[in-house]
Amino acid sequence: MAHRTAIVGVGQTHHASRRKDVSLAEMVGEAVRAALADAQLNVKDIDAFIFSNMEAFEGILLPDHGMIAEVGAVGKPGFKVTGGGTTGSEAVGEGCHMISSGLYDVVMVVSWQKHDCGDATAGISAAAVPTFAKGLVTGAVSEFAKQALSYMKDSGAREEHAAMIRLKADRGACRNPYSHLKIGLTSVDEVLKSPYLVWPIRLYDFCPQSSGACVVILASEKSAKKMHQKPVWVADFEVVHQEPFRAGSFGDPTGTETYSQHVACERLYKRNGITDVRKQVDLAEIYEPSTWEEISLYEHLYFCEKNEGWKLVERGATEIEGEFPVNCSGGVLATNPIGATPVLRIAESALQIRGDAGEHQATRDIKSAVATALGGPNWTALFLLKRSL
Amino acid sequence: MAQASPQKQPEQPEYISIKYDLPRPYHWSTGKYLGKLYAEAKENKKLVADRCPKCKELHLHAPTPVCPKCKVDMGWDWAEMPLTGTVFQYTYQVYPLFDPHLGKVFADPHPPAIILLDNGVYMRHRLEETDTKKLKEGMRVQAVWEEDYERRGQGFQDILYFRKIEE
Repeated sequence: MAHRTAIVGVGQTHHASRRKDVSLAEMVGEAVRAALADAQLNVKDIDAFIFSNMEAFEGILLPDHGMIAEVGAVGKPGFKVTGGGTTGSEAVGEGCHMISSGLYDVVMVVSWQKHDCGDATAGISAAAVPTFAKGLVTGAVSEFAKQALSYMKDSGAREEHAAMIRLKADRGACRNPYSHLKIGLTSVDEVLKSPYLVWPIRLYDFCPQSSGACVVILASEKSAKKMHQKPVWVADFEVVHQEPFRAGSFGDPTGTETYSQHVACERLYKRNGITDVRKQVDLAEIYEPSTWEEISLYEHLYFCEKNEGWKLVERGATEIEGEFPVNCSGGVLATNPIGATPVLRIAESALQIRGDAGEHQATRDIKSAVATALGGPNWTALFLLKRSL
Repeated sequence: MAQASPQKQPEQPEYISIKYDLPRPYHWSTGKYLGKLYAEAKENKKLVADRCPKCKELHLHAPTPVCPKCKVDMGWDWAEMPLTGTVFQYTYQVYPLFDPHLGKVFADPHPPAIILLDNGVYMRHRLEETDTKKLKEGMRVQAVWEEDYERRGQGFQDILYFRKIEE
């Protein structure tokens, strides 16, 4: 990139099913204030704003209406991004483009979803393109059910392994003061007692719909070095597109092998000389809508060999104290305000690299991290963050 | 189940909720390519896919003007799909979801399935059999059409479901 980009401030709200105590604007304002405090900046220092949110999931058009004043963006340049699951990553990527172009010095990415006003699954399934998608999908859950079935069949993994992922997520969530679902699970059996949503996906196998916001402040190298906060560098990122329902076109009828993930990884890893992810990167914050997807992602993101993701789970390699911690924050399984979910992955990675994650800080020293997102028409977004370039 | 963030959740929240119920008459264009699939289904009870002139792959979900892999114009080369196949995979909905089109919570009793049609094309649809104990992968199935002409015109939904067949 022409100009290097640093993350100089992060902020988030407490996430919950319902935030009836605040309006959309007030909720987002909490994260904006937190990020400004973290960066020790005034809102007047921000050159441009990017808004990241999935329209329709709040059940209204233009949920950013009435928010611009609260955010402090009146009269400032900016964009709004709405791209499905990867919305937040696209927004941060757009911020990096703005800074690397040299046109802007400090950019704020404002991301949120307030699920107490709407229903994302209704948005996905029933408001899907009526001419070819309606009636054939039951929201995201059914898609992940298909992937889980294929994965179990191919790899030999059992439902216990998915349960272990929920246990890991819950342990992280209980340590994270901001996370939404803090269930306090203690055993695999407890997870396996939860009811099925769409077989074989159980309630505890899937992410919630959260209300919350996350803000990331990006700065150019020149500005970042003058700022108070320790910068975390965006070493590289990649966003790859794919068509949904055409997974079969790429030799995979159930969408288990997501073409865009392979392409994104190949490009990002090659550009950065990464041949062994677990050795060369210290931590990952991945976008795992289901427990099964987390196991699949270990393989698709090349954290391990094919059909061996569940073995990483079994030996605890991706636990907070493990050799390669994944989702110390509790991840998407615990907290999922969709427009903000990928931004949380990036923000949490930055906190880990800074050593500021508090109770859910990984045991080993984290100098680099991979933050991912998936969603929309099978898009994949990958960010590589580093303490020093 | 969920423990809300205690800092942010007042014990007895008070808020005003507004309910409204209005019809929403939307119109949606199929376009030329998907329109061909709609017309063949409605008029002839045929399922068609378009074929890429370069890689020869058939595109059923949905017919496309441009091949996603070759990135070339598809032209106008159509193939009729067989209406029999085998169940490649199935799942079933246990927990009902809210459907804004129906305005209510609904669980489709028909299991969603991926069906490998006899010409090797994968199709996403649903199965007639609602007793999940009677389902198995590899089961032979056949499409069941909506027989009422007036009710057809819903594209893929003109096929009601796939029915188990003995061969």
